[in-house]
Amino acid sequence: MFLLGAVALVLACSPSTYTPAHRHATARQIYLGAWQVLPWFTALATLLSLAIIRIVLVTASSYGLSKFALEMVVRVLVLELIPLAAALFVALRAGMRFSVSSLDLLAADRSETARWRLRRELVAEVSGNAVAVLTLAMASSIIVLVLAYLNVYGLSPWGVGDYTRTVGRVFEPDVTIGFALKTVLFGFAVAVIPAAALVEIQRFGRRNLSTMQPGAVRLLFVLFVIEAASLAVKYI
Amino acid sequence: MADQQETTAAHPDETPHVEAKAVMLLVLMAALVIGFLGYVMYARGVFEPTQELVLISDDSEGVQPGMDVTFAGFAIGRVRQVDLAPDGKARIRVDVPKKDARWLRDSSVFTLERGLVGDTHIKAFTGQLTDPPLPEGAIRTVLRGDTAAEIPRLVATARTLLENLEAITRSDSALANTLDNVKTATGRLSGKYGLLGGALGSDAEAQKLMLTLDRVNGLLAKADSRVFGKKGVMDETQAAVVQLHVVLNDASQTLKKVDAVLVEAQAVGKNARVATDDLGTLRMEVDASLQKVTRLVDEINRKWPFARKSELKLP
Repeated sequence: MFLLGAVALVLACSPSTYTPAHRHATARQIYLGAWQVLPWFTALATLLSLAIIRIVLVTASSYGLSKFALEMVVRVLVLELIPLAAALFVALRAGMRFSVSSLDLLAADRSETARWRLRRELVAEVSGNAVAVLTLAMASSIIVLVLAYLNVYGLSPWGVGDYTRTVGRVFEPDVTIGFALKTVLFGFAVAVIPAAALVEIQRFGRRNLSTMQPGAVRLLFVLFVIEAASLAVKYI
Repeated sequence: MADQQETTAAHPDETPHVEAKAVMLLVLMAALVIGFLGYVMYARGVFEPTQELVLISDDSEGVQPGMDVTFAGFAIGRVRQVDLAPDGKARIRVDVPKKDARWLRDSSVFTLERGLVGDTHIKAFTGQLTDPPLPEGAIRTVLRGDTAAEIPRLVATARTLLENLEAITRSDSALANTLDNVKTATGRLSGKYGLLGGALGSDAEAQKLMLTLDRVNGLLAKADSRVFGKKGVMDETQAAVVQLHVVLNDASQTLKKVDAVLVEAQAVGKNARVATDDLGTLRMEVDASLQKVTRLVDEINRKWPFARKSELKLP
């Protein structure tokens, strides 16, 4: 898994990778992983975030803690829930595509050409998923920030200064670095772990007899570990 | 070319402009990341010129980097760093944006307030906005208002209060004894003789009083019959009064007569005075006559051979 991640990273950073065929394959994976789902995921995240924001604001207001509500919304939604939701969404969608993709077919073919194509498709898949996680997380986070402002201050522009100060208080340098690192790690985990599981099947000649996505349990475990480590570093 | 053919062969239902869309997505992602980072940096005040203010405090508990310094409820500064000075006091370094520094003057006062619930607050108060501006790197001592520090004193007071309360509510306390007495008194009040029994101390005493009252009542009845009854004292008194009235009338008549007598006596007195005056004259005349007689006797005695000692007495 780590070897595949390192290989994918090296290949993604190597100029030799960007042949027209590789570039096209990577673009296709980005298109499939991010472009197609961006509107739906954004709409879904907006809807759920709106509900959570309203619940938090109304509850905090009823207890006289409305001044803490905005900070809580930003911390809970932007820093924790949205990146995790984006990673799980991309993982779920990538798993569905894995089951019908050419990777699965190529894994069964043990010729040199097929192995080369597998490598190319694998790198493209990994890059596409990583970009998808980052894009969905960033787009949804920014939408949530806007929604939080609108819910608290309405359409009035006079709350921008106060709101900006609150956001600045939340995004301390260590928190910002942790948020970026966590999102990138989510992207890599979602991109590499299912692909690594597939390659292992191809290498060791084992077929996935269960109907579960290859590496799903491992992926969920890794996502959980990253999230837990992030929370521990920030709040403990 | 071979790769392209492979790609086309592998994806016969290829969406048009896939690469352009992927590039657009990458550009969008880069724009979002850069924009987000830029906004966060702006929110953190990275692009804003600031001036430093150092606040000195005995205790910086609750003060964290990033927390606001407020003036009249508006955030005008942000804590950048909290460190311990060589003299053992906490140094709170605050970044104040230049545009907000005009609210801080040389005479400004800074307070560090810490409540039981919620964050610690650093507040600035400026009484005279016409004073000179606060200089760059100014060092000020912050005044502390710590609710938690009041708790030990509050606990000590509460402990004393509870001890007093315990002493009051103890079984042998004065209050308990008083309540016992009240209970006894109320028990007597609810007894056969009610308030009377409570006031006299026991039912036996109340019974004696009742007996006495009965006797007094009988005595009063007898007195009533003797005083106000038929041929009672009052009737006789009334008759006596009538008689007294008659006597008084008689006395009045008598007095009138006495008055007349007195008038006459007065007239007699006057006459007596006149007679007395006449008697004076008469006496003088008698005196003169007697003196003459005396002289005559003396003359006779001198001339009489058997003179003897004689004595003449005046009337």
